[in-house]
Formats: sequence, C-alpha cells, structure tokens
Amino acid sequence: MAQTSSLLARFATERVASSPAPSRLEQDVVALFEQLRNPLLRYLRSLRIPPADGEEIVQETFLLLFRHLRAGKPRDNLQAWLFGVSHNLALKYYSRAGRENVESPGLSDRPDFAPNPAERLEMLELQQNLLVVVDALPAQDQRCLALRAEGLRYRDISRILGISLGSVANSLSRSLARLAHRAGEGKV
Amino acid sequence: MPQKPLHPPDDQLLLWLDGELRSAEKAELSAHLESCWTCRARVQALESTILDFVRARNQALDPALPSIAGPRALLRARLEQDLAKTAPPRIWGMVRAAAVCFSLAGAFLLLFEFRVRADGPQPDATLTPGEVRPISLDQVCRNSQAEVVVANIPDDTRRKVFMAYGINPAKPGDYEVDYLITPDLGGSDSIRNLWPQPYAARWSAREKDRLEQRLHQLVCAGNLDLATAQHDLAGNWIQAYKKYVPTQTLQR
Repeated sequence: MAQTSSLLARFATERVASSPAPSRLEQDVVALFEQLRNPLLRYLRSLRIPPADGEEIVQETFLLLFRHLRAGKPRDNLQAWLFGVSHNLALKYYSRAGRENVESPGLSDRPDFAPNPAERLEMLELQQNLLVVVDALPAQDQRCLALRAEGLRYRDISRILGISLGSVANSLSRSLARLAHRAGEGKV
Repeated sequence: MPQKPLHPPDDQLLLWLDGELRSAEKAELSAHLESCWTCRARVQALESTILDFVRARNQALDPALPSIAGPRALLRARLEQDLAKTAPPRIWGMVRAAAVCFSLAGAFLLLFEFRVRADGPQPDATLTPGEVRPISLDQVCRNSQAEVVVANIPDDTRRKVFMAYGINPAKPGDYEVDYLITPDLGGSDSIRNLWPQPYAARWSAREKDRLEQRLHQLVCAGNLDLATAQHDLAGNWIQAYKKYVPTQTLQR
C-alpha cells in the first residue's frame, strides 16, 4: 500500500507540461497496474462482474488511463479516477443488451474454492457469516463498503457512486452495525 | 452532581476512525475518548468488526484472483498498439510542425489577438486541455438528453479565459465561453475546461452543442462509453462531430 501511495504521489507531482516520454509513461502505467489491478478486480467482484469480464474492464480502464495521461490531463488522485472509470465501465457492462441478468455468485458463494477439512477448520464460521451478511446488503451499501475496504476516502466514494457524503457515512455505519450484530451472534 | 457524559453515536466513532471528522469535532471526540472507557471499548469493537470483515473478504477474494503475469503482458501489448496507432509518422510530425510555425506567424501578424482559427476553431491544448469531474453514468443520464448549457460562467472567469487567449476585451460578444467537455458529460468548471468559441466561425458553438447532445444520446444508450466521449470532446471536436453526428445533419 505504501508503494502504491508513493507511486500515486509521484504521478500527482509530475507536472502535466513535462509529461514523460511514452516509453516511460508506459512503464509507469504498468507499475500502477501491478499495484491496483487486484483492488480493482476485487471491487468489480463486489459489483457481481464475472472474473473474466472484470479482467477486461480493468484492462480497458488502464488503457483509458494511458490516453488520459498522454493527453496531459490531471493526474492527481488517480486511484479514485481508476475506481471511477472501472465503476462506469461496469455500469455500461450491465446496460448492454442481454446482460441485465448476469448471475455471478456473491462473496459467500465460492464455487472455485473447496476447502479441505483442515481448511474448513481454519475458516472461521464467523467469517463465513460476515460474508453472508455482506451479500445480503443493498447493492449501494456493498459498493460503499467495497470501495472503503480498498482505501478510498468518503469524498471519492461519494463522487464515484454519485451520492452525498452523508449517504456514504450512513451506509458504512449501517453496514458495520449489521456486521457487528452478526459477529456478536457468532461469538456467543 | 457531575453531568453524565454524552456518548457519541457509532457513526461519529466511525468518522473519527476513518479520519473524516473536521478538526474541531475530531479534537472534541478525541478528548471524550481519553476520558471514556465505554466509548474506547466501542471503538475497539468497531475496529474488530472492520478487521474481521477485511480478513474474511480478502480470504474469499484473493485466492480466486488469477496471476497477474498474463494480464500485465496483455496490457503492455495494448499500450504499445495504442501508441503505434495514435503516434503520427515522423515526417508528418515535421510537416505539421512547419505548418504550425507558419500559421502561428501568420496569425500573429494578422490577428494577433485571435488565437482561435475561424475555419476550425480548436481550443489551445496548453490552456484548455479539458478537465473532468468524477461522475457516474446514472448522473449523466438523469436527463433524457444533454441540456444545451447556456454557460453560467462568472464574468471574472470569462475575463480570464479571454485574457489567456489574448482576445481584445472589446469583442467578447463575438464568442461563447464554452466548456470543452460539457458538464453534462462530466466536464468540470475549471478554467482548464473553458475556451472562447467564435459564433461566426464555420464550425460554430451551435455545431458543438449538437455534437454534445449526440454524444450524450450515445453514452446513455450504452453505445459509447463515457470516458471515450470525454476523450473525443477534449481531442479534435470537429473530427468527433464528423464521426458521431449522422451525415444527414452534416450540411457543410
């Protein structure tokens, strides 16, 4: 995370007028991809985008970032920019004909994950319970929680989702209350 | 009788934990937490819930993420392809540079205050590269079609735009101070997104309004992604007009 922060800070401090040469820019974009590809994939997963399509959306996002930077456009807060673009591409993905009913499993359903008995023991029931609670949250609350879990500030979440700062705070507080309630039940 | 301490609600504690409180509120709540064991225990419980959630989420999602090697190689190839596709040939770059020098010299001699070409007004990319604000597709498509923005731009900002473009203040009525990327498609109010567009030019502000409406239509129909629409508006808007506005409305 510290690496990501320093990379983002370097992007932000470089003057637009002295945009790096394309090869250097290419390397920087790939370095940022290495840092933020997984967080973006996790966020897209929380939007129920199937993994392969999520990967494609992330690719498209970084291609747009490359063009954005080449055009000398603002480079401050690129983390929020990347999440915002991925979010919009995900909405576009859903708006395409025939994709309204994409059925992708939630966090608590993992067909590709079959724990053996030892892992099953390791996997706390509490954690599974929490994921069930997350899957049952309203879609907007899931998005707020996922963006916050990836380190975005409230103001960035509010911009990405197009809701007020107060709504972000309320959503997170409400979700954590539900999680705490379930965790409390699990610990009894 | 000592006054019973007022305990802050959970949402305040969360804001405090997330560093989202204003400094005065933060100081007040910090002071309260120093004195209140109950609230400190509540903060700890909140942190414990966050920790449990993050751990559960990462354990559920991280093992399912494929290796980065393949996608990284694919991205590299795409970036190179994009670069090759958009980079002008070297000879063309030289010809263009010469043409730019010539036209700049001519423009300086003839219309030194007129930095927007009359036959194809384009903003100066160094002054107006175009700037967007984060916006969701829902927000963009809230109106059924893009409003023709009668720019409500403060006089002071207009003056700055005219000054930056070297336009004689006596003639601002000849121009519309226009957004390069329309706010309806996420353009910001920044001066870096504003430029003086002549009304009398062959490609006028009215054509640009038509293009913006068409792009809005395409974006909201899911036929064009928002980022591309913004990119094309910030690039050469006349080319974008020719590309997106149906030919039957092209009367030039």
